[in-house]
Amino acid sequence: MIKWLKGNLWRHSLAIIVALFSLFPLYLVIISSLNPTGSLNLTSFIPREISFVNFKLLFNDPRIPYLTWMRNSLVIAGAVAILSVTIGAASAFAFSRLRFKGKISGLKLLLLVQMFPAILAISAVYVIMERIQTFAPAIGLGTQPGLLLVYLGGAMGVNIWLLKGFVDTIPAELDEAAKVDGASPMQIYWLIFIPLATPVLSVVALLSFIGTFNEFILARLFLVDMADRTIAVGLQSFIGGQYSQNWGPFAAGSIIASVPIVIIFLSLQKYIINGLTAGSVKG
Amino acid sequence: MLVTIFRGKFAFVLKVITLLILSSILVMLAQQALAQGEYVIAGFLALATFAINFIYLTKKSVPLKFFLPGLLFLLAFVVGPIAYTVTMSGFQYQTGNTLSKPEAIERLTALGVTQDPDQTIFDVTIGKTTNGELGLIYFDSLKNEFAISTESKRLPQFRAGIVFDDFDIPLRSPEFVELSTEELTNLDKEIPSLKFFYNDEYYLGLEGFQAASLYKQATRYDAVNDQFVSLLNGDIYSDNGKGHYANTKDPEDILQPGWRAPIWFENYAKLFSEERIRTPFIEVFIWTMAFAGLSVLTTFALGLLLALALNKPIRGRRIYRSILILPYAMPSVMSILIWGGMFNTEFGAINNLLGTEIAWFQSAAFARTAVILVNLWLGFPYFYLVASGALQAIPAELSEAAAIDGASPRQIFNKITLPLLLKILAPLLIASFAFNFNNFNLIFLLTGGGPINQLDGELAGATDILISYTYKIAFNEGSSNLGLASAISVLIFLLVASISLYGLKKSKVMEDLK
Repeated sequence: MIKWLKGNLWRHSLAIIVALFSLFPLYLVIISSLNPTGSLNLTSFIPREISFVNFKLLFNDPRIPYLTWMRNSLVIAGAVAILSVTIGAASAFAFSRLRFKGKISGLKLLLLVQMFPAILAISAVYVIMERIQTFAPAIGLGTQPGLLLVYLGGAMGVNIWLLKGFVDTIPAELDEAAKVDGASPMQIYWLIFIPLATPVLSVVALLSFIGTFNEFILARLFLVDMADRTIAVGLQSFIGGQYSQNWGPFAAGSIIASVPIVIIFLSLQKYIINGLTAGSVKG
Repeated sequence: MLVTIFRGKFAFVLKVITLLILSSILVMLAQQALAQGEYVIAGFLALATFAINFIYLTKKSVPLKFFLPGLLFLLAFVVGPIAYTVTMSGFQYQTGNTLSKPEAIERLTALGVTQDPDQTIFDVTIGKTTNGELGLIYFDSLKNEFAISTESKRLPQFRAGIVFDDFDIPLRSPEFVELSTEELTNLDKEIPSLKFFYNDEYYLGLEGFQAASLYKQATRYDAVNDQFVSLLNGDIYSDNGKGHYANTKDPEDILQPGWRAPIWFENYAKLFSEERIRTPFIEVFIWTMAFAGLSVLTTFALGLLLALALNKPIRGRRIYRSILILPYAMPSVMSILIWGGMFNTEFGAINNLLGTEIAWFQSAAFARTAVILVNLWLGFPYFYLVASGALQAIPAELSEAAAIDGASPRQIFNKITLPLLLKILAPLLIASFAFNFNNFNLIFLLTGGGPINQLDGELAGATDILISYTYKIAFNEGSSNLGLASAISVLIFLLVASISLYGLKKSKVMEDLK
């Protein structure tokens, strides 16, 4: 017993303390969402009364277009995920499987480009989109398609890099066999590589989905209209520093918005941890 | 069956149709861009159209068939903006200097007018003369008569023929008919530039749809010498090389607006030479380094400690693990906003728990503590996960051998485990530093960079890091300075890129490429 205490007590104590630290904000946001007074003022950390009034408010109050924000986020993040993987997979395939001149310099350039934090060029992106606005209002500043284009471009470097890493782990025997049989690179890509790589591609698509869902500043800069906003921008503008007034509905809203992301993350744990060591996946 | 889709005539027809649709969209956009004078964008679109057709219709380069879509996106939205940022950093580009030079000259000419000394204003009606010329009908209170003015002449009118509206303002005469509401709406954009003849010195300029004042040109643009000449006192305003026309007698007397002028490295120089810019810049820089360093240190320390604690198969390890990674699984934007509420002075859970009434975001020290604490919560699971992985990768033989030789567990950790761990994790520590260096969301959403000293009109707050400070400089309402913001961005990139490259050299990534 003494020996167990000596060896394991500190491990359990540390783990329990840090676990409490981890859970504290999450616990708090859950009980706040169930607290009918909707205020942040908690005299006790144990709920006295449980009600779903905050959740109802979220879906019925015309001041909070919560469902619209959620739909915007899902549509934008979904479109970015699918399109960026579709486009990125082709480049990753070429980097991983084709032989050509300048491949190493190409990879080095990609490495450099994917390192560039998109936020550094944010004023340039803003000015460029402002100019595009003057001749193509449908894809310029303040539009969701415009934001989508910027996201696609911004995520391309990281996605190709990440995809290449995953694609390298798929054995090349099958496509080499097809090559011997006289298949063209295009045929190998569509008929052999894509079916083989589908699981990997979906993982990267989901990671890209999480990343886009979590993006804040470009969305805030781009989407001015209340009804165009994403959930991150919407909820931020909704509390807008006025925590005491809107805390209850905000808590409910952030829980609903977080649940799908947490589920995706936990189910992809294995891949994310593999990706972590290859370079950061999620900020 | 599937194979046939990718072969033969059907595939070719499909390809050509896709290329046709794409090309026509791109060409249409390029034309519209050209019409707006956006030559660079138009050129890029034209080149993209050409490249797409060339690559997919010939067999010149198979790899490019795979690369082209990704490449075009990278060029348009990453490489393009980077190049544009570097360009902007060499320009005087701020509130008051956002136009091109020809646009600025046009505006200055339009603005370079002066009203008559009495600031006379007439009630007018816009309309057309019988021969179709645009004009005004009004009662001239200076000459005490009714008149019509067109662009080139002024015709006095007899009162008898004039029809008035409910407010006794002349509406039409035998020689003049007022415009319909629809015609007026169409005219809306031209209103400021319309001039109507009054006398040889003054003309009538419209103030909206129903009033006109007497103006005369006060400054004149001299295209030959590229300067503005004051017609009132003969002062000469010439290009000062920094995006303004300045009085040759008094360099401080400049004409507004200015334009985007190339000033090369002056934005960079200002960061170090101009007191008002240098002081906050250096303060923010020091805090950025401290913040990034402390963030890495705290998250790594806690993560490593947990990894060591849970490196043994103790009871409940799986449960601990799934709870400990929850902060990492949450969307960080939501977590930061939740923490923001918890630090609320009156109602926040933190003060509630501690029994204090600290105004967390009003004092520099407390705000900085809060920022580090929240970042610890957000970041420690990452290092817990990677340190756990790294601990598995260290061969057990090493510590076993040391133990046999009589080393204490503490010695084993200090002399064997920690150095090996640091070696494995060095690239990730460096990457984490680089990430936190630009951790915009945390600062922006938690403290907004504050607390800020409102009195001296400063932009930088106590928790502002370089990137959030840059954002404020670029998007501050009223006085944005894109040139200066771009210069700081370029410096940040150089710094972060060299840190990251150093990190990559330490990792295997570079070797793998060879």
